[in-house]
Amino acid sequence: MLRILIWELGKLVRLRSVQIGLLAALVLPALWAFAPGLRAQYGLELVSGWQVPALSLLTGMDFLFPFLTAMAAAEVLGSEVSMGTLKLVLLRPSPRSRLLGAKIVVVLAYPFILLLVSLLGSLWAGLPFGLGSFFGGTGVGEGSFAGVGQLSPAEALAELLRAYLLAGVVLWPLSALAILYAVIFLSTTSAALAAVSTLLLMRLLVAFPALQPFLLTSYLDLYVRPEAVSWGLPLLIIYTVGFSLLALLIFERKDI
Amino acid sequence: MSEAVAASTSGAALEAQQLGKRYGRKPVLENITFAVQPGEVYALAGPNGSGKTTLIRLLTGLAFPTSGVVRLLGQDIYNGGYAARRALGAVVEAPAAFYPHLTGRQNLEMVAYLTGMLNAGARIREVLARLELLAVADQPVRTFSLGQRQRLGLASAILHEPQILILDEPTSGLDPQGISKVHEILAELAWKGVAVLLSTHHLREVSAYADKVGILGGGRLLEEVRLGAKGETYRLRVDDAPRAAAFLKTVPGVQNVSLRDVNVIFEGSPNVALAALVRENFQVQFLEPDYFDLYDYYRERVKNA
Repeated sequence: MLRILIWELGKLVRLRSVQIGLLAALVLPALWAFAPGLRAQYGLELVSGWQVPALSLLTGMDFLFPFLTAMAAAEVLGSEVSMGTLKLVLLRPSPRSRLLGAKIVVVLAYPFILLLVSLLGSLWAGLPFGLGSFFGGTGVGEGSFAGVGQLSPAEALAELLRAYLLAGVVLWPLSALAILYAVIFLSTTSAALAAVSTLLLMRLLVAFPALQPFLLTSYLDLYVRPEAVSWGLPLLIIYTVGFSLLALLIFERKDI
Repeated sequence: MSEAVAASTSGAALEAQQLGKRYGRKPVLENITFAVQPGEVYALAGPNGSGKTTLIRLLTGLAFPTSGVVRLLGQDIYNGGYAARRALGAVVEAPAAFYPHLTGRQNLEMVAYLTGMLNAGARIREVLARLELLAVADQPVRTFSLGQRQRLGLASAILHEPQILILDEPTSGLDPQGISKVHEILAELAWKGVAVLLSTHHLREVSAYADKVGILGGGRLLEEVRLGAKGETYRLRVDDAPRAAAFLKTVPGVQNVSLRDVNVIFEGSPNVALAALVRENFQVQFLEPDYFDLYDYYRERVKNA
């Protein structure tokens, strides 16, 4: 299984959507850090390089990271369908669930890879602002960017890691949903479009307050809302497991 | 030389029974039943859209039928789990698809791993040599020509020495040398006991070594033609063909005499037939083996379907 996972990881990093996504995640923090309209948009004056990652996360999680995640998850299966290699693999005496399971694992790892690259890019972009102790907040901890006093580099890093890890989990259901759609449609474009459309539709469902606690879109900002973690995190995991199991179930009897 | 045959399923390596496939309300395949015995070469022929590719996808377990069953060595391929595919080697696309960033050898290593082969290095080298791909084995597949990819497809299909081989257009995109090579390999595998099923439009080439030809049309198996050994049937032209045919029917050692246009067709000894005709003062213009023209037969059969 490990060998299959390594193969799948190798295939993932060769996908065009992944390469573009990782490049964007690496480079865009520099734009956020030096954007002249930053103060007007967020009322923010950067005082430390430790604030750039939060800025990248806030802006990225709004649309870019969910979109990149959905694209990559859809392409992981869709590209194999379009290249014809899915048939090559499925003809072997290996369970379909093992092959798709490896893809799901890799797809769920991708948000963390994307966010890690974004974090590294952000810290690199934050270097000119300094990465020492500072008075203020990282933007993802107590007191947001204003903070509650002095923050050491270790504390700042811990806050950011926690937020980035949570953001990764927030992206999981979307990855699982995109691969579920990829199984159904066997097409990258259709799957990515369907996943993003579902996300946008869920955002509109906030018009029904009774549904709001159960919508995964209600938790896209979970990394800055620690009070919602106890309910939101299990819900996101349930969504992820549900979509993944459904994908496995459908794939088992899917005509290729 | 040819005869319609009923599918015999006893001891079959590959067996399809009452196979049907619908997309919505549209039937693509209906009631397909046939069997391929070990060592037999079964060629699947039919015009575009006749359902050949769908049938191959069903036979290999890539798609699921609306009705019917496929058995590989007696194991149900749909409900018997992936283990039923252990005996199967297949190429279902022309040209065969591979990971373009991996080399030919790496692609085969991946196939070997997924097939559960341990220490496959020597066998990979062997099949690469057999398909004359050693020189390009360590180049990425994206640099391969169409023919090289097609040969790599066959290499991947025979890698684990399967007992059943299913190939969709195995000679598509190959040069004449490559086509002969593939036919030679398939004939050799069948001789060793492998059941071979291939779809093809090149009926004349395949008829040299195929045992049966299944003619598909409109999603149905129109006919199975069993191909006999060459040289058993002869054709002669003579001055009075009807009378000569009637006479030959009385000659011992000459069987199945019939008329085809102005020619007399018969089985048995050509020497006996010729001597008998000369003795009776018939003017024999020529006598030659009557090769069954599968392509002409197929064309006629599909036209009349």
